[in-house]
Formats: sequence, C-alpha cells, structure tokens
Amino acid sequence: MSTLRPFRATDLFKFNNINLDVWTETYGIAFYLSYLARWPDLCCVQEAPTGRMMGYVIGKAEGSTTDFHGHVTAITVAPEYRRLSLGRKMMDLLERVSDEAYNGFFVDLYVRCTNDIAIGILGLGPGGKDEEDAFDMRKPLSRDPMRRTVRANGRDMIVSAHDVS
Amino acid sequence: MSAAFDRQIRPIYDDIDTGSNKSAILACNKLLKKYPKSDLSLKALALVRSQKVEESLALCDEVLAAKPMDDPTLTAMMHVLRGLGRHADMVSMFEEAYKRQPTNEDLGMQYFFALVRTGNWKGGQLLSTKLNKQFREARYIYWSAMCCVLQANDPATPANMRELLYKLAQRHVSSVWKEDDSSADRFHLYASILQELKLSEEVKKLLESELGQVVCSRNLTCDELRRDIYKANSWFTEEGATAQKRIEERKDRNWLEFLSVLDATFAPLTGSESASDEAKAECSERVARVLELFNKLAEADGQADRSAPLALLELEKRLWAHGLSTEPSRLVDLLQQYLEQFGDKAAAYEDLKPYVALEGDDLARWTSHLESLPHATSSHKELQRTINAQKLLRYNLQDADLTVEKEAPRAVQLIEEYLAALALGKDLPKTELQPADDLVILAAHVFVNMYALSKDEAHLHNAIVILEFASKRSPKSYQIHLLLVRVYRLLGAPQLGLEHYRLLNAKSIQNDTLSHFVLSRASTFSLAASGDLTYASECLESSQIYMSNSQETSDFIVRAFSTERYSQIPDFITFEDRLDNSLQRDLVKIEHVRMRLSHEVINSELADMELIELKFIFDRLHHDNRDSTIVPNYQPRASESFVEQTKLFATEPGFGWLNVFLKIYIRAFQQASDLDDTVEEKLLIGDRPKQSIIASSGTPLLERLAVRIPEETEELTQDEKTFFDYATDLSNWLGPYHDHTRPPPAAVLAEAARQSELKTGRPLRGIDIPAGNGHANGSAKKAEDAPVVTEPPSSLASFFDLMQARFKAVVEAGNQINELLHVATMTQEALLLFSLSTLRFKNATVVKVNRLGALVQSFKPIRAKGIEVLKEIAAELVKIAEQEITAEKRKAFVQNCKVLEATSEIDHDYILDVAKKTTDGRKKVLEGVGKGIKRIYTNHSS
Repeated sequence: MSTLRPFRATDLFKFNNINLDVWTETYGIAFYLSYLARWPDLCCVQEAPTGRMMGYVIGKAEGSTTDFHGHVTAITVAPEYRRLSLGRKMMDLLERVSDEAYNGFFVDLYVRCTNDIAIGILGLGPGGKDEEDAFDMRKPLSRDPMRRTVRANGRDMIVSAHDVS
Repeated sequence: MSAAFDRQIRPIYDDIDTGSNKSAILACNKLLKKYPKSDLSLKALALVRSQKVEESLALCDEVLAAKPMDDPTLTAMMHVLRGLGRHADMVSMFEEAYKRQPTNEDLGMQYFFALVRTGNWKGGQLLSTKLNKQFREARYIYWSAMCCVLQANDPATPANMRELLYKLAQRHVSSVWKEDDSSADRFHLYASILQELKLSEEVKKLLESELGQVVCSRNLTCDELRRDIYKANSWFTEEGATAQKRIEERKDRNWLEFLSVLDATFAPLTGSESASDEAKAECSERVARVLELFNKLAEADGQADRSAPLALLELEKRLWAHGLSTEPSRLVDLLQQYLEQFGDKAAAYEDLKPYVALEGDDLARWTSHLESLPHATSSHKELQRTINAQKLLRYNLQDADLTVEKEAPRAVQLIEEYLAALALGKDLPKTELQPADDLVILAAHVFVNMYALSKDEAHLHNAIVILEFASKRSPKSYQIHLLLVRVYRLLGAPQLGLEHYRLLNAKSIQNDTLSHFVLSRASTFSLAASGDLTYASECLESSQIYMSNSQETSDFIVRAFSTERYSQIPDFITFEDRLDNSLQRDLVKIEHVRMRLSHEVINSELADMELIELKFIFDRLHHDNRDSTIVPNYQPRASESFVEQTKLFATEPGFGWLNVFLKIYIRAFQQASDLDDTVEEKLLIGDRPKQSIIASSGTPLLERLAVRIPEETEELTQDEKTFFDYATDLSNWLGPYHDHTRPPPAAVLAEAARQSELKTGRPLRGIDIPAGNGHANGSAKKAEDAPVVTEPPSSLASFFDLMQARFKAVVEAGNQINELLHVATMTQEALLLFSLSTLRFKNATVVKVNRLGALVQSFKPIRAKGIEVLKEIAAELVKIAEQEITAEKRKAFVQNCKVLEATSEIDHDYILDVAKKTTDGRKKVLEGVGKGIKRIYTNHSS
C-alpha cells in the first residue's frame, strides 16, 4: 500500500532515504526543477502513509513525429521498500500519461544491463553486459498498435554509460 | 557596427562562455581603445565573472545610465546584474527599454520576467494585463491571474486584500476560460481560485465537467487538488463513491483511495460531538459494506498488494476511536494475519507501527504471538520475518523491561543472529546492502539505550565496535554510517564521525538537510585556531548550495511562467524561500564566524563584512529543513528516540540558539565596525533582501538585539548561557564609548570613496562628499565630552573564574570529553569576543583624543584573567590528550567489549584496532583544541 502523488519541488528536502542509496544519484537543483517546469505530470512519488517517501519517477516527453515518446529519466525505490511492485506502479502511471496526455508512440527507459527486475517490468528477458552500460528499452503505447517503434533487436541497443541522461 | 567590429567581438563572447575572463577583459580593452564608443557591458560581465566587483560596478552604472535598448547589451547586462545581485536595476533597465519600444513583445516579456525574479507580483500583474492589451494572448491573462494569487499569498499582503486579489484573479481567468483549449495547469489555477473564494457550486461544476474529469484522471496534481477540494467541502460521500469506483473498476491501489472510502464510511459521525442514533446506524451500515469490500479485495489481491489488509486494520482502528468496535479481539487477529501475510517484506514493521501501540490483554496476546515466532536466518524471507518480529517486540517494551541488565542479553542475541545471517549475503558485491543489516542496527540501538540508562560510555564502545564491523560488511549502508556519526560525536571523536559522514557522499540539496549531523556546534571540535581548517572548509562547501539556489531557482520560476506550469510556481517559490532562509544555512554561518575569529586576524574589515551579513540573517524568517528522520529509530515507544539519546549536550541548536548567537555577534561586530546604517546603505552592492515581517514590525534593530527571550535561552547549554551573560555585560559596558568614538558617516564614506577610486579609477556612485572633511582616519574629536569611564562590570573577570571552576569540575567528574571541549572552547570564545569588542581602542590616537586611557587600562586585568585561565585549560587538555592514548585506556576499551569477543568473528585484535582508532581520535581533538587555545592566548595577549 502506498500513496501515489505528484513530485513537488519541496520533496528535495525529504528524499534522503531514497537518494542516500548508492544506486540513486543526487543532481543539482536545476535538474529537478527543469523537469517539473515542463513535465510535472511525468514526475511522481510513492509515499508511505507515514509521509516517508518510498520512491519516485522523473520523466519527460521528447522526440518528433513517430519518435515522440515518454522517456523515463530516473526511477528509483528506497531499499526498504523494494519488492512491493512500486516500480511497476510508477511505470504504469508514466505509460498512461505518456499515452493519454501526450499521445506518444512508446515509452523508453535505459536500464543497466545487470538490472533484471527493471528489464522484467518492461517485459523482456534477462541480459548481461557491462555493469555500467544500459539497454535502451522501449514499450509501445496505444498509438502504435502494430509495435512499429519497437526494434526487433532491442537487446542490441546498448547505450554506453557516457550517453545516459 | 562594422564587420570588422563583429569579427573582433565574437572571440570575446567565446572567452566569456569558456570562462577565460582575463583574456576577455584584455580583448575588451583593445576593442574599446579602437572604438571608444562601443559597449562596455561585455567588459562589465567579464569583470563580474572574475570577481572584480568594484570595477564592474563602475562600468555597470555607466552602461545603465545610457539606457541601453539593443538585445546584446541587455542580455550581457542581465548577466552582470544577476552576478551583482542587483535585480532591482534589472527591472528598471527592462522597464526603460520596453517603455521606449512598446511593440517589442520580447522586451515586454523580459520586463515581466525581471519582475518575477524580484517577486514583484503586483508589478507583474499590471504588466501582464498591459501585455494582453497590446498583444492579445490568453496566456498573459493567466500570468496576470497567477500574479494576483501570488500577491494574495505573500505574507506581506494585508489580509483584507486577499479576497480582492482572488476576485480579480477569478475575473481574469473567467474572461478567457474555454473548456476546449485549456491545459491541466490552467484548469488547476482556475479551480484553486474558485475554491479559495469558496465558490463551491462553481468549483464542483468545473471539477465534474468533461474537461475536469479527463484532466483529473491523468494529472496527479489536478487530482490532488480535486481531492483536497472535496475534503474541504466535506463532500466525503461523493468522494468515497468515486474512490470505490477507482478501486474496483480501475484496480487502483493508491492508498489515498482507501482513505477516501474510510472517510466516507465515518462521514455520518463527523461534525457533531455526540452522534445521533440514526447517524450511528447509518455508519454501521456503511461499515458492514466496506468490510465486505475490503475483505473481497484482500482475498483477490492476495500477496500482490498490501492495501486491502492494511485498510482493514485502519478500519478497525477507526472503529475503536469511535467506540464502535464489536469484536475486541479483531485488531490483534488482523495484526497477526498481516504479519503472516507480509512479514517477509521490509516495510511490514512500518506498516504495522501505527496499530501496535496496544495495552493490557491485547498487548500480552500480541507479544506472546511475536515471541512464539521462529527465529531463523536461513533464507531472505525468514530473516526478514525475524527482523520484523524483533523490531515489533522492541517497540512495545515497557519501562520495567528497560534496564541495563535486561537489555544486555538482547544485544547479544541480536548480534548472534546478525553474524549467523551474514552467511546469506556473503557472496553479494560490496555495493549491495547486507540483508542482515537491520539486526546490527537494532543491536546498536540496544547499546545506545543502555548508555542512555546508565551514562556509561562502555556501551557506546560496544556500539562502535559492532557498527564498524557491520560497515565493512555493508559499506554502502547509509544507516550504519549515520549511527556511527552520532556515536562518534557523542564519544568526543568527531573526526571519525566526519569520515563516515563523507562516505554518504552528500550532494547538492543534501548539504542543507544533512550537514547538521557534523556541523551542529562544530566550533567545539574545530581546530582552526591551530591551523587545521577541516571544519571551516566543510562549512563553506556545504553552503555552496545556497548560492546555486539564489542563482538558479528563480530561473525556473520564470520558466514555469513561460511553459505555463502554474501548478508548480507556488511550490518553486516555497522551495526557494525554504532554502534561502534555511535555519541550517545560518547555523553553519555562525559556526563559521566562530571558527574564523579563532584563526584569522581580527580587524575592522572582518567586522564590517560579517556585520552586514549577520544583520541580514537576523531579519530572516527561518525554516528548519534539517532531516533527522533519516536516522533509523527502533527504540521502544516508552524511550526517547535514537536521535534524542545521541544529542550532543542533550540539546540541538534551533531558532532560539541562532537568535542568541546572532545577537551576541551583531552587537560585537557593530561595536568593532565603523559602518552605521546610512553608510551601509550607500556601500551595499546587491539588492537589500526583501524585508521580512520581523524587520517591518517597526522596532529598531538595536532594541531587538537587546531583548532577551526566555524561550531562546532555553536552547543553550549552561556554559553558553554563562557566555551569553558575559557577552551582554561586555557590550552594554563598552557601547557608549564605541558610539562616542566612531567616526561620523561622512568621514567613513569619504574613506570608502577614496579606496574605491584608487582601485577602479572612478568615483563611487551616489556619494557626495561634503568639502572640508579632513578626519577620514576617524580620530576626530567630537564636540561633547567622552562618557565618563566606569569600572568594568565584575561579571567579566568572574566569568573566567566561573569557567575555570566548571572546567575543574568536569575534569574531576571523569571522562566527559565533549564537556571538556565545550567549556574550553566557550572560554576561548570569550577572550576572542573581548578582543573584538576592544578592537577600536587599540588605536592610540583614538584613545588619546577621547581621553579614554583609563578605560583601556581597565581592560588589562580582565584580559590577564582570561589568559591565565586559558593557559591552565590548554595545559590540562594536552595532558588529558596524552592519557587518552595509553595502553590502559585501550585495554579498558577492549575490556568493555568483552561480550562481543565471545562471538568468533569479532576477535581481540579487531576490537583493539577500533579502540586505538577511537582513542587516537579523541586525543587528536583534545590536543588540537589545547594547542589552539595556546595560540590564541599568545596572539591576544595585548
């Protein structure tokens, strides 16, 4: 059980239990505000009834014509709240908003090649590349019923650690 | 301009972009020689970027006086003025430019953005209305409405204006409102205005419109507003029905929906003190329906979702609260079921915590259930169950269970289970957390509680040994690091705490929320006096974030206007304000000032600079952003939390503490400085901060500084209180002599103008120096006689006697290193304050002209007393430092941890190693502070 609510600027004061985890990066203020100033509906928080933050997702809409899509820039869950399907719930929201509000063709996400759970959420099998490299993974939305935006060779779409943003 | 000019100016832009400011300045000079009439703004920019503020200022004034209109100059000047913090000038620059080109829409927008940056909502509202008239765009109307809302919410706006402003906002929006082309954020703005005006019919219509339903279904911010509006209007039943639909049809498992259903269930009982039988019957009916719903959901969801089982618990809790529970045993039944179902999740403890504060038979039943659960560590799930059971048991321990004797075996048991469970994670990479970590964290809690009960440091030694061991197994566990930070500081080995803090790798905003763990009262541990600037630089680094906030955040407020994300603007403003006026920011500032005084030469320049800064701080309305919830707490509900138990000197500096130290230092710097308010006004470079409510209350600063507020002093330690008395007596005594001998403002300004002209070759802006002021050196004799020299208050010398006695008492009491350091550093601070307060009278001419020889004579015995006491303290500290690292000390440490040695993994050598590090750490700070004091009494001997 968790509360799904919008990500707010003032959440930066209380996201420590998530961001002190080694896998979650803390960026400068400009990073968070630049997302909120454009795509506030693609940024949300999962919160425990106590008010403690459990996880959050930060996304954007980008690309032109048939490449227009929702992109997950950051998705993270604090260690103590993992294995509760929070990641999937946040992805569900992001997919729905990308689909209904932005009318995008697909949602994509760069996933560390070693992150089998995330790969599972988007419905692909396990992989194995360099620890820091990532898959560029896509999931088509209702605007792409024929799955044209999905590449048959998704597993070969490697993003090097330098290009991830 | 010619093509040749263009060719030459381009590299200057490149230089500025790449930060080669020096070469940009040179290129500008060359260009200006060739084209003397060309624009100075680029040079001003390059100068600002290379920190040459005064020179840039002079050029800046010149450019502004010419009222620039062209885009490159305006853009360059925008950066210059922001660099100088002169937003008010930026507003007038764009205002002027737009006035002269009223058809230039871009200029109009820039002018609007400049107003937004200064928070001038009234100006923004008027301008955007004008922009709409000129350019006919709906968004300018929305800007206008947003500005009205922001002005209404500004604390400086009188209450009777608020409604008027909201009405104006409503008029604006409804004049352009179109359902078919409205975005989520326009909708959000409109709905919030209607709600604020309590137009419940209209707002309901809007929310239930087709647009409203669509927007709320896919925009969480709008949905949140909708939910708030429904609650505020007590439309619980409707809201409950919507929520139930979402739960059932959309399989929405947002906890907020469950709460809405529960609110609706108990709606018949809300609002009246004693509910009628009818209402109770209605409520019972609803309860039955909801019970059925939740049970059905719980069954359908199974392990997949915790919402329904938790909602059942919440329902039972509310039934109890309303006295409607029909089955007294149900709560414990539900708890047991929940634990059975989700006990293997780490979140189970937190989920259940609100429901397990049981009493009597229920508590006994629940406890015996927990005790009957098997303790196993052979799989992740079993381990998690064990951890949850341990946490839940600990939560309900009562006073009688909480003695040192009864706690000790618990610690041993937890450690044994921890060590056994380590096997589960032995193959994990170093970046992963050990699944057993919580067991060791619990064990550390037990040790710290034993310390809280007995004040015996031996228990802290145990906590350190076990936590250090765990942090090697789980190097990325921030929780373990944080516990170590707390315990090391408590033990007087702050450097070791700082090392663990650094491993957290706090960045950006985290410096605001987390730095208090190491910087609170850091001057107690600072070795700045002996040249070690570790803490001083830690203060500066952690304060960087406030600079980037003031430079960056307003950009995003502007951006949110241009992208029309109205829902975000109030949040951005709150964020900027909370960070700008952060309590931690200024607590760190005070600590830094204290460290600075201990290692820099105390002179009037230092006093001038700090004075201005501290005065601004004093008028701020502070916000406390410090995050203490990040430290885990598994202490029983009958005990204090882990954070409370590990507080240094049992009190944490807060708003009151800050105010006391600001009062002390503002008064001292005021006395040491020649700047009075009129001078400061003229010499200030950037804008004055917006006046807060405190500053505009009308009471002059001097009076506010002199007021003593009991709640404020409550946050001080005993020694800080003594110091505060001393500081007050000192400044009361010397005040009249300072006021008499301070040079007149005209003389101070003349001197400043002379210095500035020497530096920049241009006269200082806006300062008229009256002719014939020949006394710029401040030794002019005033018409009236100097105040009669009075004897110093006896409290000054006796302060040092008092501190001497305190120090002896602490030494005799034994090993309280922090207390020793605290008494020592407060005594040292008193001598430094004395030097600062008597700085002016070091000038022999000033003393002679004003005939204050007798006053200066009376300084001597006080200073001598201070030095004598400090000498003794310093020697004693160094002596104690030596005793810290003896073999006996280490042996005693190891002896204290005998119980840990019983476990095979933590052997004698390992404990000895931790003992050595800890005692070395304590020695280092004792010796460092001792040596620092020696330097201070030597340097301040006259």
